[in-house]
Amino acid sequence: MNKAIINYITDELLNETLEDNLEVDDDLLGGGILDSMGMMKLILFIEKEFGVKVPPEDMIIENFMTVSHITTYLEKKIKLD
Amino acid sequence: MIKILPHTINFAASAYPEKEAFIYGKESLTYFELNKKTNKLASYLISHGVQKGDRVGVYLFRSIETPIAIYGIMKAGAVFVPIDPELPIARINFILNDCNINYVVTNPNLRKKHPKIIELKNPLKGFIGADLESDFNSITWPALFNTSIEKYSDVSLNEDDLAYIMYTSGSTGFPKGIMHTHKSGLSYARLSVNLFDIDENDRLASHAALHFDISTLGYLAGPLAKATTIIISEAHTKMASSLAALIEQEKITIWYSVPLAIIQLLQSNALNDKNLDSLRLVLFGGEVFANKYLSQIMNLCPNTHFYNIYGPAEVNQCTSYKVNTPPTNETIVPIGTVWEETEYLILDDKGNLNIDGDYGELAIHSSTMMKGYWNNQTLTNKSTYVAIEGEKEKKYFKTGDLVKKNESGDLVFLGRNDRQVKIRGYRIEIDEIEAALLKHKYIIEAAVVVLHKNVNEKEIMAAIILSKEENISLKEIKAHCYDYLPSYAVPESIEFMPDFPRTGSGKIDRIKIMNIYTNA
Repeated sequence: MNKAIINYITDELLNETLEDNLEVDDDLLGGGILDSMGMMKLILFIEKEFGVKVPPEDMIIENFMTVSHITTYLEKKIKLD
Repeated sequence: MIKILPHTINFAASAYPEKEAFIYGKESLTYFELNKKTNKLASYLISHGVQKGDRVGVYLFRSIETPIAIYGIMKAGAVFVPIDPELPIARINFILNDCNINYVVTNPNLRKKHPKIIELKNPLKGFIGADLESDFNSITWPALFNTSIEKYSDVSLNEDDLAYIMYTSGSTGFPKGIMHTHKSGLSYARLSVNLFDIDENDRLASHAALHFDISTLGYLAGPLAKATTIIISEAHTKMASSLAALIEQEKITIWYSVPLAIIQLLQSNALNDKNLDSLRLVLFGGEVFANKYLSQIMNLCPNTHFYNIYGPAEVNQCTSYKVNTPPTNETIVPIGTVWEETEYLILDDKGNLNIDGDYGELAIHSSTMMKGYWNNQTLTNKSTYVAIEGEKEKKYFKTGDLVKKNESGDLVFLGRNDRQVKIRGYRIEIDEIEAALLKHKYIIEAAVVVLHKNVNEKEIMAAIILSKEENISLKEIKAHCYDYLPSYAVPESIEFMPDFPRTGSGKIDRIKIMNIYTNA
């Protein structure tokens, strides 16, 4: 799961290549990695790739700050479904 | 008397030392702390040779250090230059060279960029707020705040000295630097405080990044009113549900942003269950706010006052219009009338005073207007209209925006001068087409561009974003256009996009859209 998200961000969403590889704990929202358009695309990707629906009320910083936050959120979500 | 911008901090610090001046997440600064920390930064800059009038860069994401940077720089007598942290390095380097910047105030979260900037050819001598691994001159924030001030005293400035330079994209492909003085910046702050009755009980949300002129309300008018400014984090600007919660928690009283930020909040539905009673004012500007969203937010906040704000960065704000009732599909929300200390003229298409008509390019003379473009007298002259009044010359800034005066005497924004195109002899307003598209209930956003197919062939193309669940055909959209537009103005091609490319300030990047489909 981590890997798929990291690959999508690195290949599709980054405007310039990062010096180091993107890590699961890198802050995606603090600036420099994802803009608000990138975030929308990432959510669409996640919905398609993992077959979940991300409702607006789940679109909060605590769920999307880093790749590991996203996977924690998704795992919880998939279990509930 | 408050004559220059940093005086506002000194005043607020003596009147309300314990009051929070700025809040960012869990961090905050009282006016006392802000005063002390800005003195330390000013004293550091002076001791490193920064002199009155020198330019100092502010290379920061939204952060609690931003107000320290801008007021510290001004207290040193220097001019602060916001640098958008999302700019490519080459563009940053252009600004450093164009403005001859020796020192840049920054934060460790840009550490990956710092070595790249040092590597390039530019006048940079040091960073403040970086934690570099190299031995390039720099000081960390904790080290700066630990210094004890020995020889700092106010640098003597007068109101015509430069306070800040804001870079904005230029049509030549190079950014142009808009020079504001202490007078123009402080006039803007003072007129805003007067018009919107901002006082020490207000809590302003600062949503825009510093390099975008909308940010000046929070950073400049906030301290003048001794109010509290809540700097919204980068993360909050991207996650609408968190942002909605923040507005409630922080009991925001004044909100000012581009319409897009409000549209994103509406689309997330996150505002619906929030208590927004404290929100007394919503100001929006920078782009036209589509009627359907404006009415939606107005219905959601029935006790809040809404103002359409207009003004290019060159003049700060210059007109405003209070929207009293939620607009319908057919309403045209004016940009209103000029505020105090401001006069306007309407020029014809040859740049002369339009004597018989109320239609043309808006030119503004105001206490809030810029001194000119940095290092570019030619462009400054080109954008200036000189009116002779008696024996005196009066300078007006030519906005490049087309306006007309309506029956009530309010100005109505018609579009950019350069957003009017001629196709097959017909004069077409791009904004009119976009407005027509937006009347369709499934179209969230629309951007119309003109594609140059061959040397003589131009074609109108509309890029649109549909609401997520809806599916409508091209045919239906075209039929909708024919309902609202003359046939020559109906877009020849329509493209669906998941979202639009946007500029650093969140405006739709129409040039990028044009390039995508020109090459396609």
